[in-house]
Amino acid sequence: MKRKIPEPKPLFLERIKKLLPDKQDFEKYLKILKKPPVNSIRCNLLKISPDKLKNRLEKKYNWKIKQPFNNYSDIMIIQSELQPGELGRSLEHLLGYYYVQELASMLPVLVLEPKENELILDLCAAPGSKTTQIASIINNTGTIIANEISLGRIRILASNTERCGVTNTIISKKDAISLCKNLKKQGELKKIEGKGTLVPYQFDKILLDAPCSGEGTLRSTIRTYKMWNINSIKKFSKIQKNMIKSAFEILKPNGILVYSTCTHAPEENEEVVDFILKEFQDSIKIEPIKLPIPTRQGITKWQEKEYLKDVQLACRVYPHVANTEGFFLAKFTKIK
Amino acid sequence: MINRFHILNKKEKNKIEIMLKNQFGIKSIPGILIKKGAEKIFLFQGNFNEKQIKELEDYTQIERIGLYFAKIFQDKQGQEHIRLSIEGSQILSNQITKNIFELNESQSKKWMQGEELLIKTGKKGFLVMKYKNDFLGTGKASEEKIGNFIPKSRRLKSKEIIK
Repeated sequence: MKRKIPEPKPLFLERIKKLLPDKQDFEKYLKILKKPPVNSIRCNLLKISPDKLKNRLEKKYNWKIKQPFNNYSDIMIIQSELQPGELGRSLEHLLGYYYVQELASMLPVLVLEPKENELILDLCAAPGSKTTQIASIINNTGTIIANEISLGRIRILASNTERCGVTNTIISKKDAISLCKNLKKQGELKKIEGKGTLVPYQFDKILLDAPCSGEGTLRSTIRTYKMWNINSIKKFSKIQKNMIKSAFEILKPNGILVYSTCTHAPEENEEVVDFILKEFQDSIKIEPIKLPIPTRQGITKWQEKEYLKDVQLACRVYPHVANTEGFFLAKFTKIK
Repeated sequence: MINRFHILNKKEKNKIEIMLKNQFGIKSIPGILIKKGAEKIFLFQGNFNEKQIKELEDYTQIERIGLYFAKIFQDKQGQEHIRLSIEGSQILSNQITKNIFELNESQSKKWMQGEELLIKTGKKGFLVMKYKNDFLGTGKASEEKIGNFIPKSRRLKSKEIIK
């Protein structure tokens, strides 16, 4: 069935043209938007090994499966043509042997590099793709606090963590900023009272996969064309700055925070990175990112604003460059 | 601590372990057990201890701790029984030594579609359902059939898509 793709709004196109000034590059971008994203899954290492899963799916469904990255055998691309929703209806999916996840959405956790026994905060966790990915990598050790504000989305998050056999996660319902502030305040109070705190309110790793305008999801979510507007970008930018500031305050010294969005808007990306680098200039370091797909560096100038040079260390993932959805990632360490 | 969750103490956990041992031969459950409501038991294997979990609840609303693992039932005579969720049966699969029902291919499809199986097993009570290496939760055997507890969200949706 042919997909009906709406025309992007003129202001959106104008902005993307500024981000991709090369005419050919811009046209490649527009062209790939018309194609649905590749079918990718992530093997749930808590339940099955990648080899077993691949063999089983190839044999049973005759799917042609590629493992595109040597270091990440859990990441698989289904090259065969599939019926709509087919990946989500298989027995293996229902039993939690794999998670249907777009390639770009797997990147933040690869950048986070979670390790066994760490205390990890997934601040905006629903629907749970990244929480389950972290649990899979750290083999249900340590503790993940998976936070989400919406009860409806918590149900989806809980259903996904359950299906994937995640036993090391506590699901919290709170707005992200209040949660961080509460944890920081209570940790400090206990310190003053000299009682020590039972909960170490400082995290080894924090993932802030922030709510955003979703420009990067146009290939899979056609309604984004209609929903896009410049006001929401400004609104999200403000929220994202508050979120990242609150999150950074409850990161352990030497802890790692990964900030990601699925949008291209610099106000939600480089501007947020620039903000946090200036806010915590003495105690923060932006780290280079290594990914198994081609990416582009963060920009340092957008409209009338200039950002710090280090913002270049952030990564832009464009759909036409790596045949994924669009994404943005930045990695920070707390140095004091 | 919100009353919706109750972290089982040693004695309470031991009681669950005895029930699981009697029913399925399971010797021990690695992790903290939490009761939510009257029946549902959750398993938490993170490295937060009971005190840390309770303290966390002062600062946020906890919606779930760990994984839905088992359910306790009382029969008409007031006797308690336990059944494992799909994940409960998978997590403890290495320890399950009795009351396992091996399904054939066609039975496993029906089972995952949520159908009860008209099979005389010669047993009464809860059985762990298994097809090859897949553990598929528990069913309740009576004289004529095995009752199905696969939740709707985990069922194979229609016959056409089964390959």
